Amino acid sequence: MYANPVAYVFSCIFVIFAHSAMLVNIWFNGNFSEPRDIAILGAAVIILDIAYFVFILFFKQMSYVLDFLLVLILNMSVIFQSCFICKFNFKHYITCIVCLAASKCGYILCKNHKILQDKKKYIYGGIGFLLLLVLVVYFAKHDMWIRIGSFTLQPSEFIKPLFVLACATSIADQQKKHKILCFSVVYENIALFGLMAAICLVQVKSHDYGSLPTFISIYCVGFILRICYPKAKFSKKKLIAVIAVIVVFLIIGLKYAPEYVQHRLHVDIWSDKTGDGYQQSQALIAIANGGWFGVGPGKGFLSNIFAYDNDIVFATVSEEWGLLYALMMVLTIIIITAIPLFNPTRSYYHATMSSCICAAFIVQMALNIFGSCNLIPFTGVTIPFISSGGSSLLVSGFMTGMLMAGQSPVFNVANNPKSKSKPKKQEQAVPAWRWKE
Amino acid sequence: MNSLNLILCAAAIAALDICIFVLIITAYCEKRSSKRNWHELAHDMELAEQDIIYDLGCDEVLIGRHASADIRLPDLSVSRYHAMLTVSNGIWTIKDIGSKSGVFVNGNLIHETILHENDVIKLGNRRLIFRKRRQERVR
Repeated sequence: MYANPVAYVFSCIFVIFAHSAMLVNIWFNGNFSEPRDIAILGAAVIILDIAYFVFILFFKQMSYVLDFLLVLILNMSVIFQSCFICKFNFKHYITCIVCLAASKCGYILCKNHKILQDKKKYIYGGIGFLLLLVLVVYFAKHDMWIRIGSFTLQPSEFIKPLFVLACATSIADQQKKHKILCFSVVYENIALFGLMAAICLVQVKSHDYGSLPTFISIYCVGFILRICYPKAKFSKKKLIAVIAVIVVFLIIGLKYAPEYVQHRLHVDIWSDKTGDGYQQSQALIAIANGGWFGVGPGKGFLSNIFAYDNDIVFATVSEEWGLLYALMMVLTIIIITAIPLFNPTRSYYHATMSSCICAAFIVQMALNIFGSCNLIPFTGVTIPFISSGGSSLLVSGFMTGMLMAGQSPVFNVANNPKSKSKPKKQEQAVPAWRWKE
Repeated sequence: MNSLNLILCAAAIAALDICIFVLIITAYCEKRSSKRNWHELAHDMELAEQDIIYDLGCDEVLIGRHASADIRLPDLSVSRYHAMLTVSNGIWTIKDIGSKSGVFVNGNLIHETILHENDVIKLGNRRLIFRKRRQERVR
């Protein structure tokens, strides 16, 4: 099953080693009131590591490195989140286990595009249903979340993997051009553009502006790959045209943005430290307070500020663990997205899927980190895997599963009993130039 | 911050660094095994045209005259987007994607057909042989 057993054994050991080093740091340097809490946290993290390494043995994959990276970052997240509240964060731990399960679901669902290509209508239907749900939830409760007990779900988050799938499944139909008036168009591209417009409208209507850049990045990457299909050179003219269109849309968007968004764009956080600039100014103070090596796990003051565990989580980690460790955390996520560069995918479908997911992760991370550092307006977008939040973690896990599918693809046609009973009519092979009587 | 805390922080960072480094090496090892795996999946086939060998590196290979084609045949008798090679269940299939001069396999004009070893594919004036990948000769 394992192609590189020695490398995998070393990977397992070093993942546990990295977590153990963090736990030792908490033991000597942390702010936990009772040693028992550290013991529970340590046991939970190491058990999850080992259990997941055993669990992935049941999956026959060509590549396992993404599994190792996923469990590494998720258990780092459990340790961070537990340190913020100075006790074992059981809720986040359960969410991380669900995230790992979601990654395997994503892998199983997306590894064979030849099956998924036939289910395209369900993907579009799923997006439509979720958009409707977002609108219903917003108009019924003026909220973006569905609350089930102590867990909250954000329906708009679940649109992301479906939209990536819609972009990826459309790539194979780029050769099917149809003539409308004097233009040759691909119906899939029009459908995707319509879908993107509908998503943007619903997001604006439900006042979820933070997720818009993520959707736009997915669409842009999917669009660029579609017009470059299969591997055309991206001409300078096309590049300039695409950039110009994006800039025009950006200017229009900013001009007609609601008042509170415009205010957030121009706010001076240092002169409005108790108002709109409160979180960002506190986040910057915390990063400076933490320095390179941090004040110690659980010893930061930022964990008293609202949204310390999701919107400004980078600053909270920087304060408690140091800027170096926070940057290493970012590097780990970047490496997760860079794995398709190490091991290129073997189909355009998987390549499109991987690129769209990488774009979504990078944009989300950039929005959160640069927002915390006051380089861009504060958006309230989560860092994948690190921030708390059920929907965000679930979707990030599912999307990592889609990346895994690109690393261990299957190219088998489904055995459809209907297709056996009714064989497809063979088209007559006639060259277009041949003169017919 | 005392020196013990500093050392522990630095040790945690170093452990994470080493772990990431090991995982990158694992990814590199997987790249090689994945390449081997692909050759098994694709039955180690390639397209050859006299001295030129075209590697079939992904599950959809576009053949045509256009610069964006995976296998580019710069010949006016070949259409810009001429034929598509696809693999599924380890079987390679060739499909005509609206070419002007048609696709001939072993002399027969086809729209879509399964390819077998040593089949001769004629696209316009170009002849390609679908054959097993040959190991480079060691001198």
